[in-house]
Amino acid sequence: MSEADIPELNFPDGLMGFPDAKRFTLLAWGGEGSPFSLLHSLEDETLEFVVVPPLLFFPDYEPEIDDESAARLELTTTDDAITLVIVTVPDDPKGATANLLGPVIVNRHTLKAGQVVLSLPDDFIRRPLLAS
Amino acid sequence: MLVLTRRANQSIMIGSDVVITVLEVHGEQVRIGIKAPRSITVHREELYYAIQQANKAAASPTPAALEGLGAIRPLVPKSPPPSPDNSPS
Repeated sequence: MSEADIPELNFPDGLMGFPDAKRFTLLAWGGEGSPFSLLHSLEDETLEFVVVPPLLFFPDYEPEIDDESAARLELTTTDDAITLVIVTVPDDPKGATANLLGPVIVNRHTLKAGQVVLSLPDDFIRRPLLAS
Repeated sequence: MLVLTRRANQSIMIGSDVVITVLEVHGEQVRIGIKAPRSITVHREELYYAIQQANKAAASPTPAALEGLGAIRPLVPKSPPPSPDNSPS
C-alpha cells in the first residue's frame, strides 16, 4: 500500500465545513506519474476532494503542527505524519490552487486524520499549483 | 450575546473546563489565552470560515475540471513514498 492509496482514513472532527464527513478512502488518481489522489467520502458518495503531497509542488513547505493538533492526532514525531493538501480545481485546471494553510494531516500508524490550521499568512489558503 | 467586562489577567469560564483569559490589552489588540480540553478545537473565526469556504470550493470537482487536472505534473518527480504502517495489531 502506498501513501496515495489508503482504504480508510478516520477524521474524528470531519473537515471544516463538512463536520459529518468522518470516514474517507484515499485513492490514487490520474494514472502513471500523477501526483494526485482523491479523498473520497465513505459516507457521502458525492463528496470527494483532490489532494496532493505538497512537497511535490511546494518544495519549501514545512508545516508546523501545533501541540494540541499533534496530540489530537497522536503524533509524536514528524515522521508519524503524512501531509496532504486539498486542491481546488476550477474548470481551467491551470488555475488549480492548493490549500497550504489547512493541510490534511494523517497519522500513518493509526490512520487518524484531521485538517490542521497552521500559523501562516492567510494567502497560503490559495496557492497556485503552477507558477504563473 | 452575553457581554462581560474583563481586565488583563482576568478570565471567563465556559462550562467547567474552558477558560478564556485576557492576557494583554494593547491599543486595539487583545491577547487572549484559551485553555480547553483537546476535544475542543479552537480557531480564529475568520480563518475557520475561510477554510470552510475553501473546502466547499474544493469539494467534488466537476468531471471536466478533473480531466484537465490529469495533465498537471509536479515540479519534482514523484519518488516512491514509504508505506504507512498499517499492519493489524
